[in-house]
Amino acid sequence: MADQTFRLPDLGEGLTEAQLVAWRVEEGARVEINAPLCDVETAKAVVVIPSPYAGTIHKLHARPGESVAVGAPLVTIAAQETPTTVEPEDPAPRTLVGYGPGAPEAGVRRRARVAPVATGEPGADVRAAPFVRQLAKEKGVDLARVTGTGPGGRITKADVEAATSAPAATSAPAATPATPATNGERRISVVGIRKAIARQMVRSVSTIPQFTEFAIFDASALMAAREKQKAGGRSLTPLPYFIQAMVKAVRAYPLMNSSWDESRDEIVVKQPINVGIAVNTSQGLLVPVLRGADQLDLHEIADRGAKLIEGARAGTLGPGEMSGGTITVTNVGASGPVETGTPIISPPECCVVAFGAIKPRPMVVDGQVVARPGAWISISVDHRIVDGALATEFLTALVAELEKVSA
Amino acid sequence: MADVVQVAPADDPVRPLFSPAGELTAEARATLGLSPDALRDLYHKMVWIRRTDQEALNLQRQGELGLWGPYQGQEAIHVGTVAALRETDWIFPSYREFGMGMCRGIDPAEMLKLFRGVSHGPWDPRTYHFAPLVIPVASQVPHGVGFAMGSRFKHSDDVVLSTFGDGATSKGDWHEAMNFAGVFQAPVIFLCQNNHWAISVPLAKQTAGSIAERAQGYGFPGIRIDGNDVLGIFAAIRTAAERARRGGGPYLIEAMTYRMGPHTTSDDPTRYRTNVELERWSAKDPIPRFRQWLEGQGLLDEAALAAINREVEAKVETMRNRLRATTAPAPGEAIFGRVYQHPSDSFLEEREEFESSLESN
Ligand SMILES: Cc1ncc(C[n+]2csc(CCOP(=O)(O)OP(=O)(O)O)c2C)c(N)n1
Repeated sequence: MADQTFRLPDLGEGLTEAQLVAWRVEEGARVEINAPLCDVETAKAVVVIPSPYAGTIHKLHARPGESVAVGAPLVTIAAQETPTTVEPEDPAPRTLVGYGPGAPEAGVRRRARVAPVATGEPGADVRAAPFVRQLAKEKGVDLARVTGTGPGGRITKADVEAATSAPAATSAPAATPATPATNGERRISVVGIRKAIARQMVRSVSTIPQFTEFAIFDASALMAAREKQKAGGRSLTPLPYFIQAMVKAVRAYPLMNSSWDESRDEIVVKQPINVGIAVNTSQGLLVPVLRGADQLDLHEIADRGAKLIEGARAGTLGPGEMSGGTITVTNVGASGPVETGTPIISPPECCVVAFGAIKPRPMVVDGQVVARPGAWISISVDHRIVDGALATEFLTALVAELEKVSA
Repeated sequence: MADVVQVAPADDPVRPLFSPAGELTAEARATLGLSPDALRDLYHKMVWIRRTDQEALNLQRQGELGLWGPYQGQEAIHVGTVAALRETDWIFPSYREFGMGMCRGIDPAEMLKLFRGVSHGPWDPRTYHFAPLVIPVASQVPHGVGFAMGSRFKHSDDVVLSTFGDGATSKGDWHEAMNFAGVFQAPVIFLCQNNHWAISVPLAKQTAGSIAERAQGYGFPGIRIDGNDVLGIFAAIRTAAERARRGGGPYLIEAMTYRMGPHTTSDDPTRYRTNVELERWSAKDPIPRFRQWLEGQGLLDEAALAAINREVEAKVETMRNRLRATTAPAPGEAIFGRVYQHPSDSFLEEREEFESSLESN
């Protein structure tokens, strides 16, 4: 048994680092050659790294969320001697193609791949492709003030876009180590889920003209139904009721369950109603998808929904369980004194529905102010597909469904 | 316009073998003249090159290769093509025809040196009649045509096959080559592996009309066939090659297939295509398809399958070990070594200067 340290190779032609997404092995576990070790995300792709050795995992050198430099140790394996029948062609140190045999060999000058830091001074040497310069001009961005994240410090389209959009991240970024920077700023490299969220949000806000409408509903019936369930031995959160009411309202207004097909100027009305459920996880916002919600009864919605939420928090869902949504629900009142908000549509969907917290509210019933449980609902919709009048009809139907809940 | 020459389908021996949808007819399939051993060998080779492809992907992820371009899904074309040609017929491949090279007998561990970046050309093309893998898209097409013209001038009956992707047909070189081939009646088969994607660009976004039908405009026939049927590929290539050998001129075969993996190890196909598409094509995967056919013919049983898998695993392990033992040549040799047969004095001086700069640093 000899310890073999496997270093992160350059997985994609000129990369300098990758983010460790998840380990698929634990210290002390046995692995075979080519068994999956971990998932890493590079600037180009998420890839699985197969084990180069058979043996016992001695040490994992990085934690999920951390960024690992190409050439840095990833895992040490107490390798079982493999009966290699072939002798090395010469006794020189074995060269891993990605980064060479460890430290730069004496005598060989290596050209630094490290991006020169943009100084931000006017007239500094700006590196950007012509279309990026054009974009910057259109958006009024001063390239000298943008830090390039492309190869050799080149400014990319995304850098320019990032420089124009307001910094409005709501939840905390994924746990990635901060790179110390000058004058007290911290730079947090965005990879993984944070980057995916950013991409999706930019796409939504820059391509979908969306508006939001609000309403309050009377949750007396819903609370009574929950009590009834509880008496029958089943305790349900409000979420399955929200989803069921949404599905019923969508059935009456199928346009809410559609997509705008930019390339053909067509509206695609979706057949199954696949409800994305926004879940806050330690990694950031994830949206697992409850498929065919229109075919499920209340208990099935509750069971499957709970499983998806649990899976999202545990990080065990596959990409298939987090794609294909046709409409999204977010429960903004679940974890704080938040009444409502203006949710952002998850492209290519048409509608997102936010529910606030249910709590006693003054309501006017038969001319009298009484305290009743109630909550805010807000919907954001794609104005290319749905006008205000239709959104109002949908919201009205949704409120009506919630107020007549009986089961 | 009395002098317009129409390409007469009558002189096309390939078309009658296929249905209008490009499927090999039952009659043609029954009269290929391949022995049971030869049929099993086609299967064995497909399994071998697929497993090798997977292993190369693993080796890249383990830092043993700089880059890899998977060909999973296109094995029927690789194997059927080589089996249909004579050993002395030349093949001009793109970067993705590693499996064809293996079928030509080149040691995969040697060939991988290219992807490890330790050799510019790990095999002698003249030994295997297999030209170097080329990265510049479509460059192998004019090369193949020129070579085929040379074969004709030498009165040889060796033919040439040049193979490329759907994206390559958008290149000017491709059209120039097609034109030359038609004008000079070069003994060349153009094999387009239409795998539906040129990196992230789908076929519909860069090709209007059909690729196969473009041949007519250059004065020779073309056909679109099912590229995931190894026997269909075999039949089409062999027949087109015999036609070219007899002086019948060029032929364009558009083989419809699908690149099931990423474009290369630097690519993430989930960013631009759907799982649904992949699943649809997985149902047409050439390997299970041919296995079922063989089993239906009573040519393959459990024991034979197990023996094939064992043999393939052993070959792949040998390749892996041999590759991992390969080291890089000295920098001076790597850069200057194989440029000139008779290097000039100034070139030698430059090499010395370079080598001493390494020592003095
Ligand atoms: C002349 C040239 N232009 C661009 C590239 C970059 N490039 C590499 S592969 C490729 C796509 C080729 O697609 P296709 O011909 O369909 O073959 P496939 O990769 O699908 O086998 C491109 C554009 C290149 N290698 N050479």
